[in-house]
Amino acid sequence: MAKRLGPDVPDSFAAYRATRRAGTLTLEVFGMPTALRERPKPFLLPEFCKGCGRCIDTCAKHCIEPGDEIDPRTGLIPVTLNLEACNGCGLCFDACPEPYGLRPQPESEFELQDPEKLFGARAAAVRPRPVPIPPQAVPLPPVAPLVLKGNYASAIGALLAGCRHVFGYPITPSTEGAELMAKLLPKLDGVFLQAVSEVATVNMMYGCGGAGLPCMTFTSSPGFSLMLEGISYMVGAEVPGVFVNVMRGGPGLGNIGPEQADVKLACRGLGHGNTHAIVLAPSTPQEMLDLTRLAFELSFRYRNPVVIAADGYLGQMTGKVVLPDTMVQPGLPDWAVFGDVAHRGNLINSIFLDEKDLEAHNVHLNEKYRRMEAEQRADLFACGDASTLVVAFGTPARMAKGAVEELRREGMRVGLFRPLTLWPFPIAALKSFLPNVKRILVVEASNGQLEDELRLALSKAGVAPPPIESVRHFGGVLPQLAEIATAVRAHSEVAA
Amino acid sequence: MSVFYEKFERHSGGAGLKGHATHYCPGCGHGLVHKYLAEAIEELGIQDRTVAISPVGCSVFLYYYFDVGNSQAAHGRAPAVALGHKYANPDAIVISYQGDGDLASIGLAEIVSAAQLGTPITVIFVNNAIYGMTGGQMAPTTLIGQKSTTSPEGRTAMMGQPMKMAELIAGLDGPVYVERVALFDAKQRMRAKKAVLKAVKLQAENRGLAFVEVLAECPTHLGMTPEETERWVKEKMLPVFPLGVKKDAVPEPWFHLEKPHFDAESLLAAIGASAESVPRFAAGFPTHLGGTDIALKLAGAGGDGAQTAAMLLTRAAIHEGYDATHIPSYGPESRGGTSYADVHVSADEVLSPASPHPRILVAFNAPSLAKFAPDVPPGGTILYDSSVVKDPPPFPAGVGAFGVPFTEIAVDLGKAMVKNIVALGALQAATKLFPEETFRTAFRLALKDKCAMIPLNEEAFSWGMRAVPPPAS
Repeated sequence: MAKRLGPDVPDSFAAYRATRRAGTLTLEVFGMPTALRERPKPFLLPEFCKGCGRCIDTCAKHCIEPGDEIDPRTGLIPVTLNLEACNGCGLCFDACPEPYGLRPQPESEFELQDPEKLFGARAAAVRPRPVPIPPQAVPLPPVAPLVLKGNYASAIGALLAGCRHVFGYPITPSTEGAELMAKLLPKLDGVFLQAVSEVATVNMMYGCGGAGLPCMTFTSSPGFSLMLEGISYMVGAEVPGVFVNVMRGGPGLGNIGPEQADVKLACRGLGHGNTHAIVLAPSTPQEMLDLTRLAFELSFRYRNPVVIAADGYLGQMTGKVVLPDTMVQPGLPDWAVFGDVAHRGNLINSIFLDEKDLEAHNVHLNEKYRRMEAEQRADLFACGDASTLVVAFGTPARMAKGAVEELRREGMRVGLFRPLTLWPFPIAALKSFLPNVKRILVVEASNGQLEDELRLALSKAGVAPPPIESVRHFGGVLPQLAEIATAVRAHSEVAA
Repeated sequence: MSVFYEKFERHSGGAGLKGHATHYCPGCGHGLVHKYLAEAIEELGIQDRTVAISPVGCSVFLYYYFDVGNSQAAHGRAPAVALGHKYANPDAIVISYQGDGDLASIGLAEIVSAAQLGTPITVIFVNNAIYGMTGGQMAPTTLIGQKSTTSPEGRTAMMGQPMKMAELIAGLDGPVYVERVALFDAKQRMRAKKAVLKAVKLQAENRGLAFVEVLAECPTHLGMTPEETERWVKEKMLPVFPLGVKKDAVPEPWFHLEKPHFDAESLLAAIGASAESVPRFAAGFPTHLGGTDIALKLAGAGGDGAQTAAMLLTRAAIHEGYDATHIPSYGPESRGGTSYADVHVSADEVLSPASPHPRILVAFNAPSLAKFAPDVPPGGTILYDSSVVKDPPPFPAGVGAFGVPFTEIAVDLGKAMVKNIVALGALQAATKLFPEETFRTAFRLALKDKCAMIPLNEEAFSWGMRAVPPPAS
């Protein structure tokens, strides 16, 4: 055993056995006893014996017998050893299921050899402490603007954020993201792996994120539903990862048109348990890129998944995209289970058997969610003096912006409040000018899920809202500019 | 034994006896498999690189004991988590350890697909024919006639036959080594040890995925003594789950995965970004089309090239420094269904990217023309393929309509698929949306990897332009 086998030793089993034999010879060189006498006899601390008796039959010399005395420390009945006939065959060691059960006798000459002299220092003794390696910004030379689909822009945003590991399962209307990654990642020595399902996808992310590397997936509503179990585990085990949910029409199989009806899942329903994640809401291909980059940063800052809530229109929409002036080379966090010496002591885990421990873990997570609430972001358009406020995100926010422009030209005091984070809802920004607002019009492609977030945020902030009206569409139909404008005009006397 | 922690700190804080004892019931087979796995890791000298995936089930606390990198997976998902770790760091030795409920029931999709993928990971599958942690329910491997809390009268064929995982996995092309072993006597234990060692070693040598099924004892839920359970495994399980090597390929080393790189140049090259900006030709925004935001719609059947033409329009606009958007809308068919594209070109920012009232409509067939022509506002322009629309509907008042034989021209040029470029030529001539060179530059750039196609497209564009009669003025 003088030589340890590693991956660079491409030997066969025959060579392996030869090494074992050489190991025996080495012992003899070190003045060890002969092969027969070096075999140690068993030794047992009775408190570590559960009395299963699996060793009894294995001893040809009948040295081991069932015990008859209860060990007061365990309440179990350990076996008894009578080693007069023992020839040190060692079979009982392999029959004992306990790591610290039947062991070679410590007083044997075999054990008295200094293991370090034979095998080198024990791994644990020389293991370095993991040191966090921070990500680095790599300058990007200036390039001409790109013309990209939203899904492509998001994929490129991920590449710029240092993501080289993408796991996914094809689902319209998000598939272009996976397709572009499958094409580009091999050129960057990265990995795109098409999983057997969204369930496998999220668990691959759990593994890769747990290893400390940035990873992501593209999915759409039905696939996102399937990933929720895994997201709960990621939140529980504090594993980063980015989920781009290009929302489509539901419930059920629905259709592949744009909808915004996963807000409740992303903001309130990330699997079981007390979970939260930052939910980013882009509305242009440019924001698909920018917010995907941001998502990775936030995901690692908080050791938590981040969700991008896009919609089918946005995923498919092509537009102008300007690249940032830096890209990210990821580091490696100290908590990662990377599979190397420095990180050997780490554990990625969401099980806390003791209730007090699990409560403490939840308190820790809740404290983290509280810090995450500082990440509120919003885009304000003509809000300063607005008496009517349109609230919308994603593609409907673009229609709403067009309506607001049109109404402003007519002289109406209308503004657009566009949350860039759906959770945390950007209530701080909203509160600042809410006193002027006489009414709110929530425009969304869902049955009030954005409005619920708004109302909850207002309620928690102790702000009595002005009357809230809505323009809602479902099933792939989006609110259009004209009807938003009409809805604002409808009660203009209220706003006057 | 250094692969086991010197003290099991994670087992109730390592207090008292728990610091050196497992949580397994007396006589449980898991402890033996743990020992053989620990010995294999020790002997191969890979402890620092090992990542062990703890499953859900009795072995959920694997991470209490193994002094390696540890990751605890959701129920059934250990192989997926293992793949995540392996692809994150191909130098890591990743052990996916699962019981029968975890692997052969809830996790079937994950294990079968991971096995077929063949990425070098080591799968240790402990089959004791019962759900242990949840308290003795029927497992996918429970024997016919075997009683469990969910098969109180004994499993019948109506509840399905026991799953033979080793045979199932060995039937796949992905794995390099599949063996079923047992623990019921010294000889079997020796074989089990060797199998576990080999399965880990195959990964250490980057050979491929290895799968070892271990028939193990669960004295607690079988309601027997450990000794009786060993006999039960031998007499009852063996006939259903025959031992032995099920597959032992001598493979070439598996693929070598490089470490990702992060240099700016190769990233920009991969995404096709370039410092060169495209020349501009327009003197100003085409406000003669009514305002600073122009809505267009291109509509046809799948394969007409409406989306490609829309994309070229969008690129052309952005090259000219404007903002532009393109939204496709398809039917469910990959080919032949409806295919509409909404395009907006805006002097500064496109606000509303949908085109319910397009200023310019390009219709490739009669249904599209009939559907969208009424939406075109006065002052708008309609272009349609007169090769297929023989009997155009009446057009809204104040709308300029041009029938151009897109298809006929394209066919005459030798390739029907350039009809969308013919249409763009006609659109240019009819609307003067952008200068001619703007369009030509856009499709030349799009075809830069297929240069041979450029002359044909140039021709198609020119013929499209010529097909629109010059303004009456």
